[in-house]
Amino acid sequence: MDIIIRNSSTVPIYEQIKDQIKNKIITEELKTGELLPSIRSLAKDLNCSVITTKNAYEELVKEGYVETIPAKGFYVAKINKEIALEEQLSKIENLLDTAINIAKLNNIDKQVILNILDILYEEDK
Amino acid sequence: MLGFIKKDLLMIKSNFKILGFLIVFYIVMGFMGQMDISFILPFMCVMIMISTFSYDTFNNWDAYAVALPNGRLNNVKAKYLATILLIVVTAFLMLILSVIMAYSQNTVINWENIIFTLLGSVFGTILSLSFMFPIIYKMGIEKARICIFAGVFGIIILAGLLFKYVNLAGVGAMLAKLENYWPMIILAACVLIPYISYRISLKIYLKKEF
Amino acid sequence: MENILEVSNLSKKYQDFTLENVTFSLPKGMIMGFIGENGAGKTTTIKAILNVINKYEGEIKIFGLDNKKNAEKINTEIGVVLDEMFFPEILTPQDIDKIMAGIYKNWDTDLYQKYLKDFGLIASNQIKTFSKGMRKKLEIATALSHHPKLLILDEPTSGLDPVARAEIMNIFQNFIQNEDCSILISTHITSELEQIADYVTFINQGKIVFSESCLDIFDNYGLVKCTEEEFKQIKKEDYVRYQKNKYNYELLVANKKSFQKKYSISTIDKITLDKLMVLMIKGDK
Repeated sequence: MDIIIRNSSTVPIYEQIKDQIKNKIITEELKTGELLPSIRSLAKDLNCSVITTKNAYEELVKEGYVETIPAKGFYVAKINKEIALEEQLSKIENLLDTAINIAKLNNIDKQVILNILDILYEEDK
Repeated sequence: MLGFIKKDLLMIKSNFKILGFLIVFYIVMGFMGQMDISFILPFMCVMIMISTFSYDTFNNWDAYAVALPNGRLNNVKAKYLATILLIVVTAFLMLILSVIMAYSQNTVINWENIIFTLLGSVFGTILSLSFMFPIIYKMGIEKARICIFAGVFGIIILAGLLFKYVNLAGVGAMLAKLENYWPMIILAACVLIPYISYRISLKIYLKKEF
Repeated sequence: MENILEVSNLSKKYQDFTLENVTFSLPKGMIMGFIGENGAGKTTTIKAILNVINKYEGEIKIFGLDNKKNAEKINTEIGVVLDEMFFPEILTPQDIDKIMAGIYKNWDTDLYQKYLKDFGLIASNQIKTFSKGMRKKLEIATALSHHPKLLILDEPTSGLDPVARAEIMNIFQNFIQNEDCSILISTHITSELEQIADYVTFINQGKIVFSESCLDIFDNYGLVKCTEEEFKQIKKEDYVRYQKNKYNYELLVANKKSFQKKYSISTIDKITLDKLMVLMIKGDK
C-alpha cells in the first residue's frame, strides 16, 4: 500500500492519510474486511506521530469507511459504493464550480473549458 | 547497590596500569630501603578513593545516579563499601609485602610489630577518609580539597598549641592506664568512626540537589 | 486517556531564575516534546521529575504515584538520558552492562547487547574512542534496557548530525510500538520532533507558554505574511505575536480558520515549531 505524505502541503498530514486510504477503499485496492496496519506501526512507517494516524483512523471510522474491533484493530468496512461515489462526485462538482466561476469572470467560452477538460482527462491516462 | 560498587571498582581497575606501576615503584624503593612502604600504600588508598569522586564530578555522575532506583542511598553506601573493600585489599597487600620484606632481608618476622603497623595505617586511612567523605559530599570535591587542606592545617596548629600551652602530663598518665586496651579501642574506632561518617554523609546526600 | 506523567504547579526559586507554576501532563502511549530556549527551565523541570532536585513546590505524579514517596518504584520503570552526563570514559559498554545489572533488578543483558549491535557499538572498546553520537546512542541503549515504561530524555540529540538524529528518532518510534510506553523529550532542535511528537509543551523563562497536542497546534496556529498596509487593518486580538521585517510583517495567528474568514489575506502558511518558538519569544504583542 502506497501512502505519500507531503510535508510541504497545506493539507494536514492526518487528512492526507485519511484521503489516500479512503481512495484505496473506493477503488477496492483495499478490500472489505481487510485488516489495516495498526496506528503505531503506521505512524512508525510513515515517520509521523501516533496522534496523526490515530486521528486519521478515527475520522475514517466516523465516515464509515473503517470499522474498529477493540483489542484487534481496524478493518475496511463494507461501504455503500453509491454513497461513497456520490461524495467524490460532489467534490468534483465543487472544484468545477470554481473553474466555471473563473471562466465566467473572464468571459471564457464553455467549449474552451470542455476542450481543456478533454485534454487533461486523456493526459492523465 | 552492587552496581554502584562495581562502578567504582571498574574505574579503579581501568586505572590499574598506572596504579600497578606506582605500587611496583614503591616496592622497589622499599627494598632499596629508600622509603617505608607501610606509609605509601594507605596513602595511595586515600588518593584512589578521592580520585573516584573527581571522576564522578567530571562526568556529572551524581545527577544520573540519583535518578536510578534508590540512587541516593545506594550511591553513598556503595562508596563506603568500596572504600572498605579497598582498605582490606591494601591491608592484605601490606601484610604480604612485610612478610616478603622480612624474608628477603633475612630478619626474624616480628608479628607483633607488623600487626601494629598494619592496624595503625588502617586506622589512619579510615580516620582520614571518614573525615573527608562528609566534607566532599557537602562541598563537592573542588571546594572540599581546599577545606580538607585547611582542616588538616588547622588540626596541626591546634595540636601544636595544645602541646605548648597545656600540661599534658595528666593526659599522658591517663592514656598510659589505657595501654592494655589500645588494640580494642582502635578496633572499635575502626568500626564506629566510619559508621558515624556514613550516617552524616547519607544525611547530607539525601537532601542534596544536583 | 490515562496520564503517565502529571506535573502540577511546579515552582522552584533560584537566585537568578524562577520556575513558575509549571503544569502539564503526558498521556500514556504518546511522545511529548518539551521545547524552549536554552535556560528556559527544561532541565530544571526534568530534574524535579526525576527527584534530582527535591526542594520545590507543587506535585509530580508518575504512573499515578507521587514521585517523592514512591521514588524507588518509579525509578525502576523510568529510562533516563541526562544532558551533560557522561559515562566514565575509561569504561567500556561491557562494564556498563555489569554496572547496570547491579542497579536495575529488571536489567535485560540480552536486550542491551542487541541494542549495542543494532547501534554498531563495540562492547569491548573504551568509551573514550566513541564519537559524540555513539556516546549518546550508548546512553539511550542503557536507558532502554530495563524495559522502562517512561523515557525521560534531556537533549538526547543536541550536537548530533542529522543522520544520527534520524536514527535516534527511529529508536523512539520503535519504543512506543508498545502502547504502555511514553516518552518525554526535551530539546531545542525541533525539526525531527515536529514529525514524531504527539504533544508539545513549550516553556519560556520558567513559565509554560502552552502544552497542546500537535494536531491542535498545526490545525490552529498559522503564519501570516502581509504588508504594512494590511497589518494596520488587523485587530490586535486576532494575532498572538508579530514581527516587523524590512519588507513585510509576520504574524502568528492562533486560529487560522477564523482569521481567514475575517480578513482577505489569501495565504496562511503552515507554522513550524521553530518559527512558533522564535515568534513567541522574540515577537511583539
